[in-house]
Amino acid sequence: MNARVAGSGARTMMFAHGYGCDQNMWRFVAPAFAPDFRTVVFDYVGAGGSDLSAYDPVRYGSLDGYADDVIALARALGVKDGVFVGHSVSAMIGLIAARRAPELFSTLVLIGPSPCYINDADYVGGFSQAQIDELLEFLDSNHMAWSQAMAPVIMGNADRPELGEELAASFCQVDPEIARRFARVTFLTDSRADIGSIDARVLILQCREDVIAPPSVGEYVQGAIPGSELVLLDAIGHCPNLSAPGATIAAIRAFV
Amino acid sequence: MSEWRHHAPEAGAQITNGLDFEDLFENAPCGYLVADGDGRLLRTNRTFAEWIGLDPRDLPGMRMTELLTVPGKIFYETHFAPTLRMRGRLSEIALDFVTADQRKIPALVNAVESSGGTEAGPQLRFTVFPAVKRRGYEQDLIDARAKAEATIVTERADGELREQFIAVLGHDLRNPLASITSGIQMLAKESLSERGQKITALMNGSVVRAAGLIDNVLDFARGRLGGGITLSLSSREPLEPVLRQVVAELRSVSPGREIAARYELPDPVTCDHVRIGQLLSNLLGNALTHGAKDQPVRIDATTAHGELIIAVSNGGAPIPAAALEKLFQPFFRGHDRVRQGLGLGLHIASEIARAHGGTLIARSDEVATTFVFTMPLCGVGADQK
Repeated sequence: MNARVAGSGARTMMFAHGYGCDQNMWRFVAPAFAPDFRTVVFDYVGAGGSDLSAYDPVRYGSLDGYADDVIALARALGVKDGVFVGHSVSAMIGLIAARRAPELFSTLVLIGPSPCYINDADYVGGFSQAQIDELLEFLDSNHMAWSQAMAPVIMGNADRPELGEELAASFCQVDPEIARRFARVTFLTDSRADIGSIDARVLILQCREDVIAPPSVGEYVQGAIPGSELVLLDAIGHCPNLSAPGATIAAIRAFV
Repeated sequence: MSEWRHHAPEAGAQITNGLDFEDLFENAPCGYLVADGDGRLLRTNRTFAEWIGLDPRDLPGMRMTELLTVPGKIFYETHFAPTLRMRGRLSEIALDFVTADQRKIPALVNAVESSGGTEAGPQLRFTVFPAVKRRGYEQDLIDARAKAEATIVTERADGELREQFIAVLGHDLRNPLASITSGIQMLAKESLSERGQKITALMNGSVVRAAGLIDNVLDFARGRLGGGITLSLSSREPLEPVLRQVVAELRSVSPGREIAARYELPDPVTCDHVRIGQLLSNLLGNALTHGAKDQPVRIDATTAHGELIIAVSNGGAPIPAAALEKLFQPFFRGHDRVRQGLGLGLHIASEIARAHGGTLIARSDEVATTFVFTMPLCGVGADQK
């Protein structure tokens, strides 16, 4: 799973990326916690620098397969009472993992979580079934975008020193076929039954404007998890870990 | 929609070195969008506004995602925006824009993130190229590929079914064949006329041939179904009697043909004796069928230098070089389709050779056509470790 461990601290903070990207999503956030935590970033099988040959369509045909990997990785690293920070679909993966192996994570930070993207009776997920079907079809037409060779990367970073020269040219490089399958799992899974009462402390970070996981969905998640805390970030889009890292770090730090 | 009109330069435009930059931006032959780091539009050019059917003054303040179809929005938020943030640029991304009257414009988009020299943070710049026909063509290709993949899946399932059918049929044919064999054996014990003895000998030859064909077909079907050639290896039994038995069998059913065999097998061989017998039977059967009838078929079985070598050669017209390459392919048959049977014998022989970690090669010239099987005496174990 191409995990990277850094930092020092008694507790482990594990960062899990969402659909469409890889561990580089945490580039602006994870280092901020390195002085106080042992930080772990990783790529799910099929994403980033993971071993693509380990991808098994059946195992990863549901979020459970991904949750199993999170559990296995955390156990291999000897994590106990750790913090799990999950972005987007990883919020649900984290909930499943924490429920299955409660000793691993005592704190969950869910960034832009959505238990179900498709509207269902009174529940507003934001999309219709037809729109999600259209998405899965559309992904085919961007086959090249997933694996685009990245010669101009370094050039593009000249005026953005915060990214660093070593930025992997493979950023967000995903096998197109796997991306399509992961999209299917991400956007068609209804995890509403998986959220609910949980022993871990739960923080929900919600962007002010987010077409993928709108504020109403964040409120739904908070309402479904007793005792959870919701923080509305003054950020736009679905990836505050990239667009508003400062606010994201501050909110997590205040909670842990 | 891809129509592009040139507008007269605005009054008081800035002209530098004969270039009106305002005009270059507004009426560029592509859509040009400038947004803040959050993807909120700061300015778009007239070309884009016309395509999208909105007043250029209404566009600033809108979010980039508001202009896209739902799949486009999701793709933009989950992959496009993060990747642009980290890589600084993206090119040839397919996105569908939605016009004011709800039409879809398939387009290709290039983007860069630039610090823009402003204090307001990074600036995103997009160029948009409508690509209705190109995207349509690509969609056709994707559809065609999906169709081809679906066809392959069906064909494969059909093929598997056919091979299962062959396997079952072959298996079921063995029983009546065994009855015929025992019937012939019982008849042979009766006191038969000379004609009767001749007929039972011919019948016996036909049964041997039929049994050999069934074995080959079954092995082939099993190989296709994933079973492969299975071996039960042994080095205890001597190989020579097995080979002699095969030669005797074929000799008895090929009256009038000269078969000269030489055995020099002092070393024990770790192999599947029945399979090596089948290999020799297939090679010998092939030589008897295709070799010149008036020339002998020679068998040379030796063990030397840690190897078992079985060579089978026959006289007659040489095999053309092109055919020589394809000899071991399943169902390969030369020009002489009538005499050649299913074309599985040599294929199975080569598979048996391969399963033993050995090789089977063919060479052919004016003098003779020779098949040489070579395998290590210690069997496949040495190779597989």
